[in-house]
Amino acid sequence: MIKIEKRNDVSPSIYFLTPILAIFLTLFGGGIIFYVLGFNPIEALKFFFITPISDLYGFSELLIKATPLCLIAIGLSFCFKSNNWNIGAEGQLIFGGIVGGGVALLFYGHDGFYVLPIIILSGAIGGMIFAMIPAILKTYFNTNEILVSLMLVYVAKLLLDYLVVGPWSNPEGFNFPETRQFSESARMPILFDGLRIHAGIFITLITVFLSWLILYKTYLGFQIKVSGLSLKTAKYAGYKGKTMIIIVFMISGACAGLAGVGEITGPIGQLHRNISPDYGFTAIIVAFLGRLNPVGIIFASLIVALTYLGAETAQIFLQVPKYTGQVFQGMILFFLLGSDYLLFFKIKFLGLKKNEL
Amino acid sequence: MNTKLRVSEISKIYPGCVANDEISLEFGSGKIYALLGENGAGKSTLVKILSGVVRPDKGEVFLNDKSIKLNSPLDAKKNNIGMVFQHFNLFETLSVFENLSIDSDKKNEELRLSVSNILKKYNFKIDLDIPVLNLSAGQKQKVEIIRCLIRSPKVLIMDEPTSVLTEQETEDLFVSLRKFSDEGILIIYITHKLKEVLSLCDEVAVMRKGKVVSVSKTKEEKIETLANKMVGENLNTIKKKINNFKYSEEILKISNLNFKSEDPYETDLINLNFSIKKGECLGIAGISGNGQSELFQILSGEIITEYTSIKFRDKEISKLNPRERREYLMAFSPEDRISQAAVPELKIYENVALNNFKSSNFFEKGLVNEKKIKEHSKKILSNFSVNTDNVEMKSQFLSGGNLQKLIIGRELITSPELLVCFNPTWGLDVGAINYIHETLININEQGKSSILISTDNDELLRLSDRICVIYKGKLSKIMDVNEVTPEKLGILMGGGSID
Repeated sequence: MIKIEKRNDVSPSIYFLTPILAIFLTLFGGGIIFYVLGFNPIEALKFFFITPISDLYGFSELLIKATPLCLIAIGLSFCFKSNNWNIGAEGQLIFGGIVGGGVALLFYGHDGFYVLPIIILSGAIGGMIFAMIPAILKTYFNTNEILVSLMLVYVAKLLLDYLVVGPWSNPEGFNFPETRQFSESARMPILFDGLRIHAGIFITLITVFLSWLILYKTYLGFQIKVSGLSLKTAKYAGYKGKTMIIIVFMISGACAGLAGVGEITGPIGQLHRNISPDYGFTAIIVAFLGRLNPVGIIFASLIVALTYLGAETAQIFLQVPKYTGQVFQGMILFFLLGSDYLLFFKIKFLGLKKNEL
Repeated sequence: MNTKLRVSEISKIYPGCVANDEISLEFGSGKIYALLGENGAGKSTLVKILSGVVRPDKGEVFLNDKSIKLNSPLDAKKNNIGMVFQHFNLFETLSVFENLSIDSDKKNEELRLSVSNILKKYNFKIDLDIPVLNLSAGQKQKVEIIRCLIRSPKVLIMDEPTSVLTEQETEDLFVSLRKFSDEGILIIYITHKLKEVLSLCDEVAVMRKGKVVSVSKTKEEKIETLANKMVGENLNTIKKKINNFKYSEEILKISNLNFKSEDPYETDLINLNFSIKKGECLGIAGISGNGQSELFQILSGEIITEYTSIKFRDKEISKLNPRERREYLMAFSPEDRISQAAVPELKIYENVALNNFKSSNFFEKGLVNEKKIKEHSKKILSNFSVNTDNVEMKSQFLSGGNLQKLIIGRELITSPELLVCFNPTWGLDVGAINYIHETLININEQGKSSILISTDNDELLRLSDRICVIYKGKLSKIMDVNEVTPEKLGILMGGGSID
């Protein structure tokens, strides 16, 4: 007989250490995979995790990838903390990109300091509106937000596809599925010459700080916390459940929209079909790896960003497909959930004793 | 086929509560046995032991004089013990037949044949090929019964089977159960409804606080005698002193309270009208599941119902949520202190902040005023003698009694005009119970009113000024506590009527 029991007392330090354990287990698991594929595991892991950030350029690339991941994950933490399962950050990112991109095209050829803030703001609003669809459907029609938000991802993707192929495609672009390059005034300022790291990182850092403030210091944050732990208690305390659902989705959508607009005005500079390598989905892993804690999410986003870079390096040096990056992301989530299970439950082997209490 | 089932000195102890205390009972086939008792008397634990869901700490079960081990529900099935639970275990989207075939090892054709024989034999009218979700509660129960019958059981245990049935469905069920009994199946019928025991069963065992207090033939019993045994005669004689308080001012007036639930496990409330005067405690008795939880939630504002009028000092508050009602100086202490009244994972001061209203200043301009909340919490901890002064401690480390003191303290420290509490001493030890009782008597003496919804009759008789009984969502007439006896309460709680 095997019996699974809930542990009552989990110390907070171990709670924040298990993600690190999960990362080590992922490295170990990755080593085994590389070994089976016929590589020297230590060498391969070095290509994957050390080489990409061994120079300044690599480090700036790491920050470029971590910026949107962190931003989206912070937004998602509002939803997840209050028991709302927004799986559609990818769609909110794309829709934010579409709205921001549309405004950028509108301002094509305009100069002026006001152009970029307007674009950024419209991107955030775009993501926010797109996230309100599942929220409103959930509160007023009892739909499942997981399904709705997930399916809306494909709506956003197809809409982007249509726009870059059709009405918004570059008139001088030889029918390539992409828009014009945005004007200089619509681009995020580059921070250092020769590196791609841009001002979007400040938006992320400010958002992280504001989120910490909201989650831990405000009445709204307190309500989110209580609803996440017990909806029954939230109802008993008289919190307005519906309004709160809509607010957390709006925050989450705005963050994803910001990430989208940051990508197109930052490293990409135009709209095309693939403005996001699934940042919106990967950010779910980031949010949980960071324990839904703003500081934790910063570290988690750096680590997960590394798997994106590592996959590219490994493709070049080891000739393995870049999808190994996703394998690593999957392993991180798997080991995190696994160690969490053992953290919150203990397994008792009862043997075959007859009269066990 | 003669079946004899005997349980011998069965004990089961949960932390803080002895669910079964040395229970010994004997059953023989050909009869229908009732296991009667209030909620928490230990009936369910005993039948869970018989069906292999729970393992006893001590004691044995004998089937036909042979000791049997019931370590899992599978063992119960192997020993031909069938069980129909109060809540159905059916897959709603699968057809009736698919549901039956899931745990059967017969071939499909064979199974269909035996099922249709059962349907014919007992005159059940159920279409085997429609999804279960299209069935009525009574039909779903029949599917569960058929599931047991396929295995030709020797013992059939029914756990509160009529709680979701209509009157007609109940009648049908009784006809079937008598038929099974005539065929030699031993039937154990768990209930807290006295009338059903008298009309259906041959013998009745009454349980109270984990013990069997009587075994008798139903022919020798009446509603009153059974009610007495079930509720317990040894009443605590310490009563609230009858105060000469002139009940002049009406604090709360409820009229036309109606509630229709979409959830079949909830109880509809039918036309409740009552009012509470200043300084008064109104007790609402009843066996749990008769609408108390729904009534509490409507009083607290967790459920908002249309057309109901709730007037607090002549102001209509029926559309306000709990937080808004607190502004009118109402306070609420729900039944479920662990997952509703407080959150175990939160610190003590955070749990205190749940009772937030404007003048508390816990949250100023949307920001958390931690200092204020902590000061306030410290005051509660010392005023209500909670055995800690550490407001940073997580509430899960408080004992049940201390947690309840914290909750009652949180609700009372604002000196509310009206406290609504639901089973405030459920599962507590004697010391904590006394403390809570004294506190509740105190607030009445200070001219504050209270509504006490409770399943504990001792408590009600001790604390209330007036008492009424809720049964199937309806309120009995409201009586002065002097004219109430435990017998009267028992009869009303079981659905009977008194003059």
